[in-house]
Amino acid sequence: MPLYVALLVGAIMFGIGLYGALSQTNLVMIMMGVEVMLGGALVNLVAFWRFLHPTVYPGQTFFLIIMTVMALDMAVGFGVGTARFRARGSVEAEEAGELKG
Amino acid sequence: MILQTAFMGLFGIAAIWFAVVVFRTHSMVRSALALLFSQAALGAMFLAMQAEFLGVLQIMMMATEMAIMAIFMVMFMMDPGGLGQMEMTHQKRLSQAAGVIGAFAALGIAFLAGWGNPAATAPGPQAQLRGLGLDLMERSMLIFETAGVTILTAMVAATAVAVATRSATKRKEDRE
Amino acid sequence: MTTVLIILALLVGAYLVAVLEGWVSTGRFRPAAPVLSGVALLGRESLVPRKPDRIFFEVGPVLLLVSAVLAAAVLPLSPGLIITDLATGALFVNAALAYVMVALLMAGWGPDGAYAMVGGFRFLGQLVGYSMPIVMTIVGVAMRAESLVTTQIVESQATLPNAVYQPVGFVVFFVAAMSVCFLPPFDLPTAPGELAGGVTAEYTGWRLAVMRLARAVLVVTLAASVTVFYLGGWNGPVLPPWAWTAAKTLAVAAVMLVAGRHVPRLREEHLLAWYWKIAIPLALLNILYVGIVLIAGSSSSMSM
Repeated sequence: MPLYVALLVGAIMFGIGLYGALSQTNLVMIMMGVEVMLGGALVNLVAFWRFLHPTVYPGQTFFLIIMTVMALDMAVGFGVGTARFRARGSVEAEEAGELKG
Repeated sequence: MILQTAFMGLFGIAAIWFAVVVFRTHSMVRSALALLFSQAALGAMFLAMQAEFLGVLQIMMMATEMAIMAIFMVMFMMDPGGLGQMEMTHQKRLSQAAGVIGAFAALGIAFLAGWGNPAATAPGPQAQLRGLGLDLMERSMLIFETAGVTILTAMVAATAVAVATRSATKRKEDRE
Repeated sequence: MTTVLIILALLVGAYLVAVLEGWVSTGRFRPAAPVLSGVALLGRESLVPRKPDRIFFEVGPVLLLVSAVLAAAVLPLSPGLIITDLATGALFVNAALAYVMVALLMAGWGPDGAYAMVGGFRFLGQLVGYSMPIVMTIVGVAMRAESLVTTQIVESQATLPNAVYQPVGFVVFFVAAMSVCFLPPFDLPTAPGELAGGVTAEYTGWRLAVMRLARAVLVVTLAASVTVFYLGGWNGPVLPPWAWTAAKTLAVAAVMLVAGRHVPRLREEHLLAWYWKIAIPLALLNILYVGIVLIAGSSSSMSM
């Protein structure tokens, strides 16, 4: 039963994050959507570790890796955002048409 | 077991509520701090799931991460205070559909897959810390090292991309 | 019962810190001053600025107080006298102190004032400097104790306090702790004389009273964490354990308050440059040093 509560929360967080990442026009808001999605993934990881394999620790290691990814996407995203803001004066996705291949 | 489920549900609802607030509010600082409280509620949920180290780590990491997000929001947004009620979304219909479908796909897998019998008890926090440490230093050491090197690479790359070129700085100084 | 005792100890500590701060900064010893000014603040009207972000404005001071008290919850006053002895105590102190920055950011953004906002974002910049050294030096402490539990950290210092065992870590942690509770050379978010109070500029009445109390509690908490992590906590001869912790905490708080008076306020960019170029390498070297000492100690005790 608690496992399903956790999976439910994880799935809803993922849905909200997906909506946010697709619907927002600003780079920073898009990254917030990605963070919400990764948060949903974290819930699932902890729930699977706790309720399915509580004595197997690579599950917790995987959690740490996902947390690293969360920090990394912020660092690289803000790096790109700063460069783009310098060059174009905005980080709106609508105004980034020239990135289309 | 029931108490645990109740607490998990409570913190889960808090996390979902704050995650919705992130995309509903017009004030950018509020948005970033709502994300912080959403992630902190997830951390509290991990504590309810007896993953003490992971919960405390989540609560600690997210405070810094989302506060830094707040300062970038204020830097990059045209209307950080949200006083102008600007519209900042596009392809709304598509995103809503994608979000709902994504959530239901995840839910379908979650509820249709057979997960077997859930474990009733977890090791104590001390045993968990010990087990995680041994795992990081033995079996998963290579993965952990890779993560460390990736962080270093990303730090160098992000700094290199973000630092202004010398000519750009000079042009700016000349203008002033 | 334990909780009540710890809260009482925190309040007494905050009172003493307030008296001490007044004594250091004005040169007059007035033991009644904190109570009098507290009553005066409670009696005054608490103004709300025009167009505030109301939620942040109200939550900021309270969150500052809560995070300081939460951090104190895992610090032992004497054996058994601790609110919760978490298995991840040393990490929890950091987690609670990270919310000091969140509270100041809220208090800075909330009132819709220029000085307050500059103060709040300055503290965020300060956090980028101090957060890494404070975690890395605690790693050195936890390595020696082979545990994150604060009571075990204190017990590991029964023979030799960490301040002597790893002096570099002690100095870095002490400086970083002073930055967390924004005491004088690091008082960038409040900066009297240049920001007119910074984050506290727009607060009046009982809200300002809460904020001042939170600041004093924060100083006590940080002094207690220096005591627990580096000065051996309750270890000491003759006196009862709680008296040792209390005396050491007060001494650390006094040193923190006095030291800051004789140093000019740092500039933000110097603060960041020195933290990243000096303090972080020193903290990393401290980890390496502790590791070498531990391995050398364990291999000499084993029959090789």
